Amino acid sequence: MSTTSLLVIAILILATLGYFLASKRAISTAGGDRRKLHSLPVYYGSNAAMFTAIPALGVLLIWLLAQPMLVERNILSTIPDKLIPEGSSIGLVMSDVRRVADGLEVVVSTGTLSQNETLKLDTEQTDIRALLAGVGAAVGSDVQPEVLKAAQNYRAQTKMGQSWMVLIIVPLALIGFALSVLAAKPTFRARNTVERGILALLVLAASLAILTTIGIVFSMLFESINFFKLHSWTDFFFGGSWAPNFRGDSDLSILPLLWGTIYISIIALIVAVPVGLFAAIYLSEYAGPRVRAFAKPLLEILAGIPTIVYGLFALVTVGPALVRVFGRGQEGLLGLEWMSGATAVLTAGLVMGIMLIPFVSSLSDDIINAVPQSLRDGSLGLGATPSETIRQIVLPAALPGIVGAVLLAASRAIGETMIVVLGAGAIAKFSANPLDAMTTITTRIVSQLTGDTDFASPETLVAFALGLTLFVLTLGLNVIALYIVRKYREQYD
Amino acid sequence: MNDKNIMESHMGTTAIKISARDVQVYYGDNHAIKDVSIDIEDKTVTAFIGPSGCGKSTFLRCLNRMNDTIDICNVTGSIRIDDEDIYDRRVDPVQLRAKVGMVFQKPNPFPKSIYDNVAYGPRIHGLAQNKADLDEIVERALRRGAIWNEVKDRLQSPGTGLSGGQQQRLCIARAVATEPEVLLMDEPCSALDPIATAQVEELIDELRQSFSVVIVTHSMQQAARVSQKTAFFHLGNMVEYGETGQIFTTPQDPRTESYITGRIG
Amino acid sequence: MTDAIQKTEKKKSSLLQLDARTRTRNAAETRFKAYGMIAIAFGLLMLSILVFNIVTRGAGAYQQTFVALEVELLAGKLDEKGDRNLDDIKKVSTFGYTPLLSNALEAKVAELEIETDLKAKKMVGILSKSAAAQVRDYALNNPNQIGETVGFEFLASSRVDGYLKGRVSRDSIGNDKNISPAQLDLADALKAEGSLAKRFNMSFITGSDASDARPEAAGMGTSMIGSFFMMLVVLVLALPIGVAASIYLEEFAPKNWITDIIEVNISNLAAVPSIVFGILGLAVFINYMYLPNSAPLVGGLVLTLMTLPTIIISTRASLKAVPPSIRDAALGVGASKMQSVFHHVLPLAAPGILTGTIIGLAQALGETAPLLLIGMVGFIASNPPDSIATGLLSPNSAMPAQIYEWAKRADPAFYERAWGGIIILLVFLVTMNTVAVILRRRFERRW
Repeated sequence: MSTTSLLVIAILILATLGYFLASKRAISTAGGDRRKLHSLPVYYGSNAAMFTAIPALGVLLIWLLAQPMLVERNILSTIPDKLIPEGSSIGLVMSDVRRVADGLEVVVSTGTLSQNETLKLDTEQTDIRALLAGVGAAVGSDVQPEVLKAAQNYRAQTKMGQSWMVLIIVPLALIGFALSVLAAKPTFRARNTVERGILALLVLAASLAILTTIGIVFSMLFESINFFKLHSWTDFFFGGSWAPNFRGDSDLSILPLLWGTIYISIIALIVAVPVGLFAAIYLSEYAGPRVRAFAKPLLEILAGIPTIVYGLFALVTVGPALVRVFGRGQEGLLGLEWMSGATAVLTAGLVMGIMLIPFVSSLSDDIINAVPQSLRDGSLGLGATPSETIRQIVLPAALPGIVGAVLLAASRAIGETMIVVLGAGAIAKFSANPLDAMTTITTRIVSQLTGDTDFASPETLVAFALGLTLFVLTLGLNVIALYIVRKYREQYD
Repeated sequence: MNDKNIMESHMGTTAIKISARDVQVYYGDNHAIKDVSIDIEDKTVTAFIGPSGCGKSTFLRCLNRMNDTIDICNVTGSIRIDDEDIYDRRVDPVQLRAKVGMVFQKPNPFPKSIYDNVAYGPRIHGLAQNKADLDEIVERALRRGAIWNEVKDRLQSPGTGLSGGQQQRLCIARAVATEPEVLLMDEPCSALDPIATAQVEELIDELRQSFSVVIVTHSMQQAARVSQKTAFFHLGNMVEYGETGQIFTTPQDPRTESYITGRIG
Repeated sequence: MTDAIQKTEKKKSSLLQLDARTRTRNAAETRFKAYGMIAIAFGLLMLSILVFNIVTRGAGAYQQTFVALEVELLAGKLDEKGDRNLDDIKKVSTFGYTPLLSNALEAKVAELEIETDLKAKKMVGILSKSAAAQVRDYALNNPNQIGETVGFEFLASSRVDGYLKGRVSRDSIGNDKNISPAQLDLADALKAEGSLAKRFNMSFITGSDASDARPEAAGMGTSMIGSFFMMLVVLVLALPIGVAASIYLEEFAPKNWITDIIEVNISNLAAVPSIVFGILGLAVFINYMYLPNSAPLVGGLVLTLMTLPTIIISTRASLKAVPPSIRDAALGVGASKMQSVFHHVLPLAAPGILTGTIIGLAQALGETAPLLLIGMVGFIASNPPDSIATGLLSPNSAMPAQIYEWAKRADPAFYERAWGGIIILLVFLVTMNTVAVILRRRFERRW
């Protein structure tokens, strides 16, 4: 770590030096007459700084990303199978190795032991666990000799990697420095080179969006593949029950979760679509400027409220209020005993519906406003009432756009997490009763990935398969919705 | 005033359909129409001419209260159709607009089939008892819109697929289908090519048989071709009103003369 | 003409009388309009219920019940040797201080002649479990005062606090083993005398989270710092990257399929569920890059990826709003394309970019789900970080995650704190959005 930061500082200093040297040299080679230079001196300096820093830092970044993976692969192959305890995995052993190696690093840096002494460590003679605990590195159990050896290897390979890194990057920076400073002559088109460099950075920034998507897909794909190696995919997609069991042999089927997700989303849309649509219609077709200026921003506040607030609202306010109406037997408002706990499909669905109202209304508002005024005039001029105009002319014309908006809202509802985590419950089941607690894909992702997680058990890995399904589901909805909306906009452009 | 005399000289010869007195229109603080008084006759084509922004379209939109849809617009004075004040509180603009149809500057067929475009008015006003009745109304309207022969084989195809001139005639047919008594036309040919314009002008002349037609146009030639009476608007005032031939040959007001000879506009 | 004949057949109706059909149509119109109003009213009603809930339930967190007591720091218990050696004093654990508290309470009860059949040990139950630690900290900092009597202000236990706020009543504590009616009687008596009272609770705003048993001691301060460091990361990364990406896409990108894919990609990323970004963060930043768990740096990276599409979309809109004539003017005097963008277009678009960035930041500030997956939950940081590096790398929570943690503890005292935390969070969000609106109003340019 410290090697890396030293290297970065060195590169930056060299780049600064290059900046001043190159701009000075450009002026002096032009005989002190700036007008003879192709570009402003600034560009000669920037060119030098760019060629010194960018390649070196780029290689450094790639090195830092790749090295741990390579080292790990080497070490993994040296760990014997007998080291893996029953019910555990190679991943856990590897994390032990890493922890021991990190601990030893601290031992050296605090001066408890010298570098050579750590290499001579032996599990027979030293209590490694106590040694590491002494510098604040906790290891779960006593360190086995193989783990210690692997950790030593790990350290050695990391060290060697770092030396190579310095050996490659420092010359790279120096070469860039020398070439670019030498190139600083009046005929050199420094501005064009710098601008090409900037353009490359811009392209890089723009492709980060693609990179993010690829990252999302691959991070979930790899772990999902690991999951399907441990658990049959037929059970995941077509099984009927969800019952994770951390001793293994769990039922992990997505269907009950999917049912809960869809049920809650449908209730949310039943609330949000009519309310949002009618609100949009009223605001765009009836409301005067004053009502519009007042009601529109107020409604949009609902969209700016973080979902955790809605989650708490569901758990503490809406849920208990529903129980008071539908539950509690004789004490309840209706004397019914249909609802036992505050968390239920209806609770989460209602609150999610409230959250989606401004989402639906502002999208529909845009879409309704895109319908040309001439159509409204035509209809009103024939003696239609405003409501007839809206129902028979404006809405049919806006229908594709509204369908797109509803699909986007549906994708929102399916991917929403906090409201369902707090408001929907944790029981996976197929039930048509909206007053039952049910669970969703997103809540299960949260519960499988929080707490003590072992990244080798199917109970944890299933979260990635769930995440991938969720991603594909919402992506599909989004692509269709955005396509419809785009086509619709083009129609009236 | 001068124009009042002219108006009076024509009274009594034909039935007065619309009579406006001291009409003022304000858009917020902007006084768009100042003191306009006019009598529009039945079964006549009346043209409103004038430079752009003179208020002729605004005044036209007062005649079927289309200005009601604009929040900041305020109309005072009296406009009477068949001696009934259309700005009376008891008048429903919806009922009024059934009686006073309108055709707009840009053809605006609904994104529906040709048949449904024409049937829209009769349906909302409940003019047809049954399907056969409605079919008959649609056919009659399309014939009167002089477009029947072109579309009779494709009544179910979308109205937006027609050419500009056809679309405008479809819009006229759509307006005629509700059996209005007055037909307002706001520069109906401004978006059309010369051939389509000629067809629509011919149509307007035929429509005169059944309705009182009021047409706003920026083209003096068009006013001269289609109208019997012409009113000249300038800066929100109605400067002169009279027989079309007389307005174009012997205008009374110097402003009218300047406009007609091309010095303003 | 036949048309003319048919026309005369049509009934002459007066405009001044509504026919039956118009009346039904108008009724339908009124109904339709009413639906719209009901929809708006429903939305506004829900908003006001929500706000009312937040304010009424959360306000309590800013008031806390304190008990004033004179505690004698018994030398015999705290420093048996009597040489004031700090190491020896440190050996006395928090439990060793509890008798001091019960003694103090007993003395108070005797002095005020309060009648109670509570044992001294039970009396301590009206104080927070943090009271003993408070005395211990004081003794360790002021060893020379051992043996003297010192006045303390202790937090009352959450049940007593709830009793004063009306959340807890004698009926509701039937099965509660943390409080008894007799203890409430004692609290009443102390309140009447004035040594037990509610006052403004600054430590809720500045303090850290506390364990399950001490809701009265929990505060938002540390998680606010966590959120601050995350926002720092988001600002430092998302703004330059977002602006760079937008400049490329809006000004330089050729129209081809790659650009199309990037554009479709960005609008899709904006609609990807936030939890998916959490999974990405867990898999890439923690499992693959070994960045520390629960660190604001990781949270910031995840939120950066999540916020980027929002910033790119709004930045592109403001770049697009700069008229092409400005670019032509710059190119016309011999500037390169790059110079025209950086010298002219970008400064003109800056207010719009800033507005979009603030709105993106506000969105990131309220986001919870991805933080749960990378372990940014409550009660992992008890002290504010001492440097920027530790602030970025040491485990911390964030405001929304802290609120979630409290909501999960299923204790009304923690619910109160969750609502109180929401007030702080919303104050930040409202401030940010107001700044954005003001910026837009002030610098918005119509070309």
